Amino acid sequence: MISEPIPTAQPARQMANRFDPYEDNGGTTMALAGEDFCIVAADTRQSDGYHINCRYAPKAHQLSDKTVIGTSGFYADGICLVKRIKQRMEWYYHQHDKVMSTPALAQLLSVMLYQKRFFPYYCFTILGGLDEEGKGCVFDYDSVGNVERVKYQAEGSGKELLQPFLDSQIGLKNRATDDVLDLTEEKAIKIVKDAFSSVTERDIHTGDCVEIYIIRKDGIECEKYPLKRD
Amino acid sequence: MNTYPNPFSEAISYQRMEQYDQEHLESLSNISPMTRTQQPIVTGTSVLAVKYKDGIMMTTDCLASYGSLARFKNIERMIKVGNSTIIGASGDMSDFQYITYLMDKLMTKEYNANNGQPLAPENIYEYLSQVMYQRRNKFDPLWNALVVGGYQDGKSFLGYVNLRGTTYQSDTIATGYGAYIAQPLLRNAVEKKNGELFTEEEAKKLLDDCMRVLFYRDARSLNKLQRATVTAAGVTISEPYSLETEWGFAEHIRGYGA
Amino acid sequence: MEYNGGAVVAMVGKDCVAIASDKRFGLQLLTLATDFEKIYKMTDKCYIGLAGLATDVQTLSQELKLKVDLYKLREEREITPKKFAHLVSSTLYDHRWGPYFCEPCIAGLDSDNKPFICSTDLIGCINFAKDFVVCGTTARELYGICESFWEPDLGPEELFEVISQSLLNAFDRDSQSGWGAVVHIITPDKIITRHLKTRQD
Repeated sequence: MISEPIPTAQPARQMANRFDPYEDNGGTTMALAGEDFCIVAADTRQSDGYHINCRYAPKAHQLSDKTVIGTSGFYADGICLVKRIKQRMEWYYHQHDKVMSTPALAQLLSVMLYQKRFFPYYCFTILGGLDEEGKGCVFDYDSVGNVERVKYQAEGSGKELLQPFLDSQIGLKNRATDDVLDLTEEKAIKIVKDAFSSVTERDIHTGDCVEIYIIRKDGIECEKYPLKRD
Repeated sequence: MNTYPNPFSEAISYQRMEQYDQEHLESLSNISPMTRTQQPIVTGTSVLAVKYKDGIMMTTDCLASYGSLARFKNIERMIKVGNSTIIGASGDMSDFQYITYLMDKLMTKEYNANNGQPLAPENIYEYLSQVMYQRRNKFDPLWNALVVGGYQDGKSFLGYVNLRGTTYQSDTIATGYGAYIAQPLLRNAVEKKNGELFTEEEAKKLLDDCMRVLFYRDARSLNKLQRATVTAAGVTISEPYSLETEWGFAEHIRGYGA
Repeated sequence: MEYNGGAVVAMVGKDCVAIASDKRFGLQLLTLATDFEKIYKMTDKCYIGLAGLATDVQTLSQELKLKVDLYKLREEREITPKKFAHLVSSTLYDHRWGPYFCEPCIAGLDSDNKPFICSTDLIGCINFAKDFVVCGTTARELYGICESFWEPDLGPEELFEVISQSLLNAFDRDSQSGWGAVVHIITPDKIITRHLKTRQD
């Protein structure tokens, strides 16, 4: 039996016009772990393509006295993720009568990102803080929850520009001598500032200001360092 | 391996099955699928807003376009929410009017709660951005870029949220074509003031100047606009007014086929 | 550009220039050889580094060498780096609609021994820079690190250190480049060529 062509919706055309739920708001974040401190830094520019939405839209957020999170990518997803983490931390606090530790948060974050495996949060996250022993720790994520504990990491639109610099200055890669890094807080902050100044020079999505969170055992301090605004 | 013949094979009418399939498919094609805003239809163009000494000033024009057709020329694109907040909208006007309904509903609920704690601009902004973000999560966005302005307890508030739930707060906000043309002018004016805020007159002039440029260069704009302010005295949205324009220079413009 | 991979960088120093490349030759993610230098000597004081499709790298380097030699025969003088840059540019633009998939970096000293570097895109748009130029699959990494490491008026040995560290740390973050490196420092009286041992992954 030869049938008439069946009238159907034209999926090809509809697919082409489909609403794109993602936006890339750019931004660079980095974190590094010291012996008894940790630094998380993120620039504050929010952009959309070639357009700068806002010069101060914070991407780094303090979660507790021991943990700071940095997100870049799609700003709305980043904000939503941080909001949900804070909510989960509150539940945890009421259930267990203690503040969630950084490694526990790191695991939770991985799970939360993976829960949205098939409609991911489009954000590149770094979690930095102090672990249960008071040592600096950094956790790096992809957008679907792959996690790795590292010493230092750059993420976001300027990660390719930043990471080799960190490899050299903090990882002490490609040295002929066996230098031992005595990473003091001052030195680390200086490296962070240098790194962001350089990235700002070449990445259009990074600039305006960088917020540097310094996490110590006796509290968190946030330093703002101005960057070029062009 | 031993295979058994189907004892009912004779009884199966393949022709009947094909016919059934055909009818079934046809009936499927008559069901209209769930619809979503896949593109904006009747649209409003830029919204401009700045912080100034007494609060927030915001302007929009009164046009709602249907593609390139200037379809509705007396549309209000700013709404008052409570006594200390305004929302200005660009993008799809039907979605915006739905948002107006949502805001009405929210304020009615608040009125009934009567808890003596009126919603601050920040609260309304948070509510609105959550609505926008949740709708994008459902792949059913409200196709707008919204500006929320407010003034309460001596504090100015100015925030932006769009169809994907992206948010930011800033001293100057411009949406749509205004983001390209007016935002640089606004930022320039703010930076020249060196931290000082505009007076009412300065803010008025600045926004009017920007709207004039937009009227010259944005083909989807109209020289009939409204200005809204939010101050300690409350929200005012002006009657539509027009700007003085000067087209003499147009003679000297070359290019674009002229 | 991503088919064979590669990294090239050139930098200006005080009365000297440096140009360096990695040595990998690969097919996408498979490394086939680790002795593929991408820098070619054009004159005594002018070198060109070509990153991109290896077959085009070889063809273009030969075509350019031919043109430089013919220039010398006709003009009875060496071509200056700046003229050479324009020669590269016009050679590439000749193939505007079917380009060589190469991005060149040029480094040299001119007749007054003044440093000159530049790069072009694959169809010959020249980028004159006063500090450094980069190209290849490692371009973004190189931009970031060179921006941090480079400073004005570096002597030949300092420049060697800066360009080497920049290149090594940059291509260690690129799966398509690495496997050894070569650095040429061009000074008024000599060329210093050094081969760097690097990690082999």
